[in-house]
Amino acid sequence: MSTTFTSTPWFGDARRSLAFDDSSLGITLRLTAITLLLRPMGPWFVLPMVLAAAALVLISPRVLSMPAVWLGISLAIALRIADDWPLADNHIYLFAYWTLAIALSLRTPDVSSTLAHTSRWLIGLAFVFAVCWKAFLSPDFLDGRFFRVTVLTDPRFGEAAMLIGGLSPQQLDADRGALTPLPEGAELIDPPTVIEPPRLRVIATLSTWAILCLEACVAILMLLPPGTSISALRHAALLTFCGVTYAFAPVAGFGWLLLVMGIAQTGAQQTWLRRLYVGAFLVVLFYSEVPWANLLLHVRG
Amino acid sequence: MQRFIPPVLLCAVAIVQIALAHTVALTPWKGGGFGMFSTLDHSGYRGVDVIVEGPDRSEQLAIPESLEVAAARAAACPTNGLLRRLAEGVVARERRYERAVTRVRLTMWRAEFDPATLHVSERTLRTFVYDVH
Repeated sequence: MSTTFTSTPWFGDARRSLAFDDSSLGITLRLTAITLLLRPMGPWFVLPMVLAAAALVLISPRVLSMPAVWLGISLAIALRIADDWPLADNHIYLFAYWTLAIALSLRTPDVSSTLAHTSRWLIGLAFVFAVCWKAFLSPDFLDGRFFRVTVLTDPRFGEAAMLIGGLSPQQLDADRGALTPLPEGAELIDPPTVIEPPRLRVIATLSTWAILCLEACVAILMLLPPGTSISALRHAALLTFCGVTYAFAPVAGFGWLLLVMGIAQTGAQQTWLRRLYVGAFLVVLFYSEVPWANLLLHVRG
Repeated sequence: MQRFIPPVLLCAVAIVQIALAHTVALTPWKGGGFGMFSTLDHSGYRGVDVIVEGPDRSEQLAIPESLEVAAARAAACPTNGLLRRLAEGVVARERRYERAVTRVRLTMWRAEFDPATLHVSERTLRTFVYDVH
C-alpha cells in the first residue's frame, strides 16, 4: 500500500501532512532532516537556510510535506557544492539529488511509490559508478594498494589496523613515516621497509574484494526490476553494506543517507524492516561517535 | 517523468567527473563521480609547491592558512582557473607583507606507491607559471 494523493502545489496542504505521521514516508523525510542537522554543511549563506528548513520540517507536519521546502534545501546544497567546487564529498551530491527527489515526488499523486522508485535508481547508479571506479578506472584498487596504504596511514583506520591487523603502535608510526611522500625527485638510498604483518595483508586483500563484491551486489539488486524476492535481497545487501562499511569508513553522513533512502523503499506493512533501518541508522551514529576500536584495544590490554 | 530527473542528473554529473578526472586530473574522490575509496589519488597524497620569484629573491613558500582552501582546490583539480586563483592569492599575500613578487611558480604533484614494496615517490601532475603584471 502506498501514500496516494492528487497532484500537489509547491506549498502543499495540511490534509496531506496528517497522513505522513507514522508512514515510511514520514520517517524517511524526518530522518533526512535529522541527517542534515547531524552533519551541518556549507558556508554562511547556505548553512542557516538548511538548518532552519530541517528544524521546521521536524516540528511542522505541514512544512514536512511542502515540496518547495525540499526544493529549497536541494538548491541550497547545490549552491554549497558550486561554492566549494571541487571539494564537496560525493554524499553531498547525493543529498542534493535526494532532496530534489523528495520535492518532485511530493508533487506526484503517488508519493511513496515515486520516491521508492527514485531511491532505487539513485542508490543503484551511485554504486554502479563506485564499482566502475574501483574495478576499471583506478589503477591501485584491485591490486590491493589502496587498502594496504590506507589502513596504515589514515589516522581514522589506525586503531582498526592495530586491533585487527596486529600492528604495535611503534610499528604503525614507523610505517607512517615510511609512507610519507618525499619531495619531488628525492630518493632515499636505503628506503625504510614498510612493516605489514601477514594478517594485515590478508585483511587488505579481503577488504578489497569484499567491498567490490558488496557494492556490485547493491548496484545490481537496486537496478533490477521490482519483485518480492529481489526486494528482500536488496534490503539485505544495503543493510549489510552499511553495517559493515560504516564501522570503518569515516563518512557517517553517507551511511545515514543510504539508510534513509532504504527506508523509502519499504512497504506500508513492513514495520519490522523500517525498525531495522532505524536501528541501523542509530548503529552508524554510534560507529561515528564512539571510538569503538580504541575501547576494544584498551579492553584487550 | 519527474522520478527520472534526479537519476539523470546523477549520471550526467558522474560522467562529467570521469571526463574531468581523465582530462584535467580531477581527483577521483571529488566531483560527484563516486570514486571515493577507490584510489590513493586523493588530497592526502596530492600537494602544491609554491615558488615565489622577485627582483632579488626566489624562494619556496609553505602554504599559509589563509590559502589552504585555494591550495586544496588547485590540488584536487589543477585547472588553469583554480591555479590562477591560488597564484593571485599568493601575490596578494606577498604584497600585504610588502614583498616584491614578479612570478609565482606552482608545481602540482601526487604520490605514487610501488605495487610490491609500497615505496613512495612523487610525480608532477603539472607546472603553472603566473607572471605578475
